[in-house]
Amino acid sequence: MELFRQTNIDFLRWKWWAIGASWALILVGMGAIFVQKGLKFGIDFAGGTQIALRFAQRPDIDQLRKVLDQGGFGSFGIQRYEEPEKNEVLIRVQQQRKEGRDVTQDVLSLVRQGLGGPIDASKIDLNVQGRDSLAARLAASDPDQVAGKPNIVVAEYYAQIAERVIRRRSEVGIFRSPADANSTPGISTAVKQWLQSNTTTGPFVLLSAENVGPQVGSDLRRKAVWAVATSMAGMLIYIWLRFRSLPFGVGAIVATFHDVMITIGLLALFGREFNLVVIAALLTLVGYSVNDTVVVYDRIRENQRTPKKEPLETVINRSINQTLSRTILTSGATMLVVLALYILGGEVLNTFALTLMIGIIIGTYSSIYVASPIVVIWKQFVDRRKPAVVPLAAGKAAAAPPAGPKPAAPAIPPAPKKKSGRR
Amino acid sequence: MTKKLRWRLLLIFAVVAGMVAGYIVTGYSRAKKEWVGPGSPPLSDALKKGIKLGLDLRGGIHLVLQVNTADALKAQRDNDVIQLQNQARDQGVALGAIEYPSDISFAVAVSPQTDTTKLDDLVKRWLPDWNVNPTSGKWFFTLKDVSRRNIEDSAVTQAIETIRNRIDEFGVAEPLIAREGTDRILIQLPGIDDPKRVKDLIKSTAFLELKLVEAGPSSDRNQLLQPYGGQVPPNLELVQDKAQPGQTQVNWYLVQKAAVITGRDLKNARPTQQQFGQNAVTFFLTPSGAEKFADVTAKNVNRRLAIILDHRVQSAPTIHERISDTGQITGSFSAEEANDLALVLRAGALPAGLTYLEERTVGPSLGLDSIRKGITASVVGAVLVFFAVVAYYRRAGWNAVLALILNAVLLMGALALFDATLTLPGIAGFILTIGMAVDSNVLIFERIREELRAGRAPKTAIENGFSKAFATIIDTHITVIISAIFLFQFGTGPVKGFAVTLIVGLLISVFTAVFVSHTIFELEYGRREHIDALSI
Repeated sequence: MELFRQTNIDFLRWKWWAIGASWALILVGMGAIFVQKGLKFGIDFAGGTQIALRFAQRPDIDQLRKVLDQGGFGSFGIQRYEEPEKNEVLIRVQQQRKEGRDVTQDVLSLVRQGLGGPIDASKIDLNVQGRDSLAARLAASDPDQVAGKPNIVVAEYYAQIAERVIRRRSEVGIFRSPADANSTPGISTAVKQWLQSNTTTGPFVLLSAENVGPQVGSDLRRKAVWAVATSMAGMLIYIWLRFRSLPFGVGAIVATFHDVMITIGLLALFGREFNLVVIAALLTLVGYSVNDTVVVYDRIRENQRTPKKEPLETVINRSINQTLSRTILTSGATMLVVLALYILGGEVLNTFALTLMIGIIIGTYSSIYVASPIVVIWKQFVDRRKPAVVPLAAGKAAAAPPAGPKPAAPAIPPAPKKKSGRR
Repeated sequence: MTKKLRWRLLLIFAVVAGMVAGYIVTGYSRAKKEWVGPGSPPLSDALKKGIKLGLDLRGGIHLVLQVNTADALKAQRDNDVIQLQNQARDQGVALGAIEYPSDISFAVAVSPQTDTTKLDDLVKRWLPDWNVNPTSGKWFFTLKDVSRRNIEDSAVTQAIETIRNRIDEFGVAEPLIAREGTDRILIQLPGIDDPKRVKDLIKSTAFLELKLVEAGPSSDRNQLLQPYGGQVPPNLELVQDKAQPGQTQVNWYLVQKAAVITGRDLKNARPTQQQFGQNAVTFFLTPSGAEKFADVTAKNVNRRLAIILDHRVQSAPTIHERISDTGQITGSFSAEEANDLALVLRAGALPAGLTYLEERTVGPSLGLDSIRKGITASVVGAVLVFFAVVAYYRRAGWNAVLALILNAVLLMGALALFDATLTLPGIAGFILTIGMAVDSNVLIFERIREELRAGRAPKTAIENGFSKAFATIIDTHITVIISAIFLFQFGTGPVKGFAVTLIVGLLISVFTAVFVSHTIFELEYGRREHIDALSI
């Protein structure tokens, strides 16, 4: 099967249109960010508390809000997850002024009291309690009466039982009654009876709780920016040296930066939050975009080695055409993986996949329409600024009529003889 | 089969076997640690545990703490001031009032009668950590920068040590406790899902002091201070009691500043029960501590002794007789609290307070969910890619599929061998690696097709295709590896995880795409003298 057979598209003809389109996309993104008064940072960067809970019944959000109003947290948000049938809710609380308050525990106890009805303090809440506490309580009452038996360490014995019960909870999602816990495979009747009379099941399971201080957030932001900036500088220097041409290095970095800017802008437009997962996706995108650009550059360099003197634009156009099927195919294959992640990857991977989907499209476009045109524009600019160089170097060229397009000197001196054949 | 080809196959086989063996061995050793049944764990356990999963995939608690090094500085300052006062008293040097302008400085009022030469000797001998600026009337002391750094540094080191002791006593599998920057500590506790208890355990300073009570308890601090003219005398201090449940008013004790016994004199501590079933903690002193304690208790029969934990009076029993090596802390503890208190006392006190900067708990359910979905999505994605590559390149596509599978297997093996932790950003690195491996194959195949179109013979086309694509593949991989190295250097935890996976993955990708893929082609077509057509 072949999709493209020796295409011959004049890509560079549209370069000014492409540059306009790029700017338009960047401006739309910036506009979205401006309208939202800055990027919507997740708690990783902004600080604050975020708690994800899974409820046994579909929670009443209004009631939840009323319950949390009593906490005096300042502003907070409640949001349902995208799969409402799972009864999952995300609670977000702003950074607290007063230090030392354990917001997570405060929120949990408020929700528990507010939605769970009266709580029997003497019983263990199987939905909230961790494995260790359950193991400790089991070991203390020893329903299987293993204490004193040879070859059994009581604590370890009950740690295993507790582990099984908690794993069962993960499997069923949430215990609705102690009877649910009794469906745990591999526990004795005595333990089941003990669970029945000593435990209760609260209204929710804690999925995750995050609490990030303001310092950490700003540190993370600074470090992430610094890491991306230095890695871009590193790539710039490598490409500059490898292709012996500054415009190539700059082109690749501008294209990558362009991709990152547009992706961030579009994420803002889609109302997505900027968090660590997005950073991971942006880093992936940087790698992907540079890879794409280098493939085209490599072909340009190869095509410039031919003795035939051609204008740079022609060489670049031919190179893009030659690598087109590879570009489309690779993008398509990567897109398949990312699409699978987007659809099947769940909550956590969803934003990651969306970022990459935008990034791959923009990255593919930019390696054709940003990275290469920059090289051309740069060369044209330099040639126009230094008309004296060429005549001085070659007497014949000076005599040539100034009107027609100047035969471009090879943009790059031929690279050293490649050692690819050796293996 | 040529000799060269045989060597290549042997190398590929050795690398793959090594990585697979590495994965299984790592998995076994990890599964064995958690295996409590008889014999050795089954292979399926080992396969599951080859790669350490990060907290985001596995569940657990991630904490970043800041050590309040100012506490340690202040403690050092107070210690040295007491030292200076004691020495001055012994030497008969009269010292005036002491002021504390900051945590790292103090000023001593000096009267004209003070023997300044003697004082100077004292300072040189006993306060080597301090810069002195003697003026008439007052001597100013500032902590030297070197000493300051040393104190801060040892406070953090000691805090890490103490936290490690506590966590070890608590019993957590594979905890990570590491220093981050100058005064931060990173703690990762996989599998723990009881954040409150762990946090209390780590954070409780567990600074135990036993001090003689001068007056109190009283709810009115001014009343306690009345005999002293409303000022706290320099050798005494006011301490609050620990709020009891349901109690609103605070009681104050006026106690001696110098502690009779501190947590350092403790040999052991364990939870006990009192007569009426109340929980308590019994502690045992080291020989030198016992000597001090016996001495003081013998001299102070019928006085009260405050048991102060983290600057709060727990209880203040009366000394009935000389006590030597054991004592009891009572209060309204639950069994769990008594247990944890004994644990932290055994593990030692923290040299300074801690602040939580970051705290992330991932419940076991979410971790399980993420990993299940992540795996499903990756497998589906991979199958789709395989399908596309085979549909597009036919027989050559199978080469690519084999190279990709090898790539994934080798990467898993390498991650297991490096003991790397796979996190969500790590999966991102994995995906980028696979993407670039696909790309390498596509680059090669497209080149071969071009060569075929240019009319080259199939064998030449393969050779040319590989050698021409090689330069490009090396360039793209090196560029991305360079960026990953910088990310590793300057990034934080999650970014680092991404970088590690990416670097290792790309090195493997070069190997599979160029070396393995080429060998497969050779194996297929190399033997034949003449090939009519390639299936590509």
